[in-house]
Amino acid sequence: MLFDSALLESIPRFVTPLLLAALAGAICHRASVFNIALEGMMLIGAFCAVAGAYGSGTWLGGLGLAMLFGGLAGLAYSWFSIRRGGDDIVVSIGMNFLAIGATIFMLRLLFGTRGQFDDPGIIAVPKVPLPFLDAVPVLSNLLNDQSLLFWIGLMMTFAISYLLYRHRFGLRLRAAGENPEALQTAGLSPERTRTVAVVISGVLCGLAGAQLSISNVTLFTENMSAGRGWIAVVIVLMCNGRPLWVLPTAVLFGLVEALGFRIQGLGLPQQFTDALPYVLALLVLAIVLGRKKYLA
Amino acid sequence: MVTSNRFRQFWPFLALLALFAVSAVLFPAVRDNAASFLEGAFGGRRNFNFYSTLSRASLIIGMAMSVLVSFRAGLINIGGEGQLVLGGLTAALVGAYLDAPPLVVWPVALFAAMLAGSLWAMLAGWFDRIAGVPLVVGSLLLNYPAVLFASYMVSHPFRDIASGITQSHRIARELRLPRFEATLLDYGIYLIVLVIVLVIFFERRSVFGYRLRMQGFSLPFARSSGFPVGRIYFQTLAISGAIAGVVGFIAVFGINHRYVDGMLVLPLYSWTGVIAVLLAGMVSWLVPLTGLFFAALGTGAVGIERAADIPREAAQIIQALIILFAAGIGHGLISRNTKGDG
Amino acid sequence: MTQSTSSGEAPLCRLAVISHAFGTVQALDHVTLDINAREILAIVGENGAGKSTLMSVLYGLLQPDSGAIEFGGKPMHFRSAADAINHGLGMVHQHFMLYPGLTVLENIVVGAEGRGPFGFIDFAARRQEAQRLVEQFGFSLQLDRPVEDLSVDARQQLEIVKMLYRRADIIILDEPTAVLTPQEIDALFAMLRRLRDEGKSIIMITHKLGEVMDLSDRVVVMRRGKNVAERVTTETDRTELSELMVDGTIEPISKSATIRDETVLSVNSISVSGSHHRTAVDSASLSLQAGEIVGIAGIANNGQTEFVRALVGLSPVSSGSIALRNEDITKTTVKQRRNAGIAYLAEDRMSVGLAVGGTVSENIIAGSENQRKYSNHGFLNFRAIRNHTKELIERFDIRTSGAGQEIGSLSGGNKQKVIVGRELSGDPQLIIAENPCWGVDVGAISFIHQQLLDHAAMGAAILLISSDLDELFALSDRIAVFYDGRISAEFSRDELDIFAVGAAMSGADHDSAAGNAAW
Repeated sequence: MLFDSALLESIPRFVTPLLLAALAGAICHRASVFNIALEGMMLIGAFCAVAGAYGSGTWLGGLGLAMLFGGLAGLAYSWFSIRRGGDDIVVSIGMNFLAIGATIFMLRLLFGTRGQFDDPGIIAVPKVPLPFLDAVPVLSNLLNDQSLLFWIGLMMTFAISYLLYRHRFGLRLRAAGENPEALQTAGLSPERTRTVAVVISGVLCGLAGAQLSISNVTLFTENMSAGRGWIAVVIVLMCNGRPLWVLPTAVLFGLVEALGFRIQGLGLPQQFTDALPYVLALLVLAIVLGRKKYLA
Repeated sequence: MVTSNRFRQFWPFLALLALFAVSAVLFPAVRDNAASFLEGAFGGRRNFNFYSTLSRASLIIGMAMSVLVSFRAGLINIGGEGQLVLGGLTAALVGAYLDAPPLVVWPVALFAAMLAGSLWAMLAGWFDRIAGVPLVVGSLLLNYPAVLFASYMVSHPFRDIASGITQSHRIARELRLPRFEATLLDYGIYLIVLVIVLVIFFERRSVFGYRLRMQGFSLPFARSSGFPVGRIYFQTLAISGAIAGVVGFIAVFGINHRYVDGMLVLPLYSWTGVIAVLLAGMVSWLVPLTGLFFAALGTGAVGIERAADIPREAAQIIQALIILFAAGIGHGLISRNTKGDG
Repeated sequence: MTQSTSSGEAPLCRLAVISHAFGTVQALDHVTLDINAREILAIVGENGAGKSTLMSVLYGLLQPDSGAIEFGGKPMHFRSAADAINHGLGMVHQHFMLYPGLTVLENIVVGAEGRGPFGFIDFAARRQEAQRLVEQFGFSLQLDRPVEDLSVDARQQLEIVKMLYRRADIIILDEPTAVLTPQEIDALFAMLRRLRDEGKSIIMITHKLGEVMDLSDRVVVMRRGKNVAERVTTETDRTELSELMVDGTIEPISKSATIRDETVLSVNSISVSGSHHRTAVDSASLSLQAGEIVGIAGIANNGQTEFVRALVGLSPVSSGSIALRNEDITKTTVKQRRNAGIAYLAEDRMSVGLAVGGTVSENIIAGSENQRKYSNHGFLNFRAIRNHTKELIERFDIRTSGAGQEIGSLSGGNKQKVIVGRELSGDPQLIIAENPCWGVDVGAISFIHQQLLDHAAMGAAILLISSDLDELFALSDRIAVFYDGRISAEFSRDELDIFAVGAAMSGADHDSAAGNAAW
């Protein structure tokens, strides 16, 4: 039986990092910043979460450090791309490259180890118990005792949607994405708006990384984001940066990942289940964009 | 707005200057360990390490030439990793299972590796042109299934079980590419030199190269000038993928003598090739130099790691910083051209 | 803010002795200008006379090298457009500054969102304000429509509503009529008069003297960065103004009859599909004789672009046929059509006409790179290419440092000359010229016009697509008007009438409701 309670329980764990990273990408997308450094920013977040949680002895320290360095990575990105006029793709490649090198470097420097760091001193983000759901079969599996970050991700979806469509900053952000020159002549700074957008996306990526390293497991491994940032990019493109569409799409990909994890237990080679999300992402993206292309 | 042409010729060197400034500030250890850096990159008994650097450089430069061809045509193909891995896997399987003399096996394996790389690159092109998946995303996503497929192949059907590692069977001794005496450098570097010469020559002198570059500057221009843009598009990707296949062939026949899971991915050959091209500002004759530079940075860092216990990833951080600082100096990925002939 | 109730009192705003240079070019040379409330001021001048630069200074987009902007006698320093906006200035740019994916209401409020709690926007209140303005001035805007769906005149209405919403007292319009039909222009002018009567100050930048005489209260003439004359409109006339505007060096275009009785191009009822499976061109037929210049008029997005793309071979036709000198070319490629003698001066020079990043010779050789002369067995013959480039540089007077100069560093006029040189040097049978004079200087304009006339005299057929009716009227033997994908009317040279053309452009013959109902 594939759809058992263990599968249901695992879904939010897979959804959360994709959701947070895709929201990060969506903000940039709406500001016309082609940020494909989500992968690297997540990796930085994952490492800093472990370092913070281990160093401070609290999960809050982990989240704080992940958000701080995620935000700093966003600031660096915007400095290189917006301020210095670097190409988004080049800057993204550089950031991703930097993230891989810097996390391994710091892993060696801080913890004196290679490959993986795990320690009982890494404090995990708490799970949120919902006792009133105990009696409800499916919902309890899905929602009860899930990581706090899952709930943060859900709230962020609505918060960001509200920000984009109802808030002054969101309106200006979308305006900067549509026609930066017009925003300039309206006396506003598209650069500043975009910079803030990229920094917010860095903070969200930091949280996405924290979900990987200090939520269900408490360890850091080299290159632990393992391509999830790219799945997030695909989600952003499929949803055209609309936060309320990002949520169900992230759930879909999270479900696929969770299923892959399950099937692995049934004896299918791990490589196939690992490849599943990427193949699916490519095919779904091809269908969504292809449809748009031929309708246009 | 636009800096003059002559100035732009110098920008890789400005980036290098920035590198030394940054590394002196951030990594005083690098400055203090210059001797062990140089030893690691170029030293050793009878310059043994220099040949190792060359060996690594030949793979990086090969991947850089592959990337260069695509980038010059305006195609952001960052799927070199998948193309390289499939090329390497194909070559390893041909080498291990085709029982024939070297003069038969080599061309067959080389051709098969090139074909595998080409097809994978063209698949990314198909997703872009037919389905509208941006090449930068599609080519990147295709890396994962390629790498995982190769991993599966050497973990299950073609695994050398006796070795205990996920790797394919070793190719016969006489099939290995010969090495320069007392070094780890194999004759595969001749193939890379040939690739460099051909790419530069065709890019600058041929009608195809001309069209490819113009198309890279502006696709609508190429269309309205009557270039066969669709054909050029796929031919470019095919060439790119084929060069990646050549690199895979060399890695297998010259260095590892089999396909080991992760052997082409973990050293980041493909990504280092990408940033070598970016640092060279897509000026084709500079690419071998920047590729060699990054290779030396990598092997030199290993030397420092041995001597001073500074993680070798310092090299990667420096490479990333170079690219980030250089990014602001150019003018966008596609139009970052300098002088052409004519 | 001080507001004078009639002209004659202290001006609302004064530009005092403004100078500004771009490099060595003195764009503004000690210009002084008063702006009064309740007045429509026209600023006229040729391209490059400094009108737009002056307005950029007033609007805070450029900082003057010397001089000041005074409000109520006090000098102000505008560091950005925001400062200008706060002082009651508003500007409608020639290329609209709108956000296509946002709704009309969102476009109105960007940058003036009001103070809601925590920066959230009180859209209900903003909607009320905007709706009140729309109704007060009789605009026909639906606040929830995305701007990308709006017609050109609706976009201009939106720009004006944006200014009113920001309580602008001084409204600057840069070439506001360039994209409108004559009927829409009338409606716009009625609107502007009404705004003036409500106390606003209107500044209109234009080079069309008819509109100046029709609309303005006062005219300022600029030439070469100087304010050369100032007149009350009722005390001057077009002749005087045009003499003031130019140095008297522009020769009138002499179009002689060159038409021969040979059909060069015959387009037989072609249809072309555009985006969203819309029919962009619907059974259009047209034929051109040798030596004939046929003008194509029409408002943007009425099928002209797709028509041209189909002729050049960039888009397939869904039905109908195209013949060049009686040879059917409907199914041929761009390359084959080029070889058959079709030349194309593309409107979008920076991406279609030129490969920016390439050199002058790389751009000049495009399209003939695999001809015997320039390449052999797939390899380029650099010497032949360089010689050819040098020859064209001389013949077409292209100002460049050499064949190897990067094309992007040439001036607009010289860029266009590179294209003209490439396309016309092969003595084509058919020349398709799309707005060939956009953004080029006066000297290059007359050069390009002369080239077209010369080729017509030599027997080429010329299809001239232009959004400048003056240009079309001056050069064309015949004008075809596109409306809604069809050729809605054709006028021969002797029956040309600006209002008849305008009516056809706005589809007045087709829709019984006239195009100005919107106003």
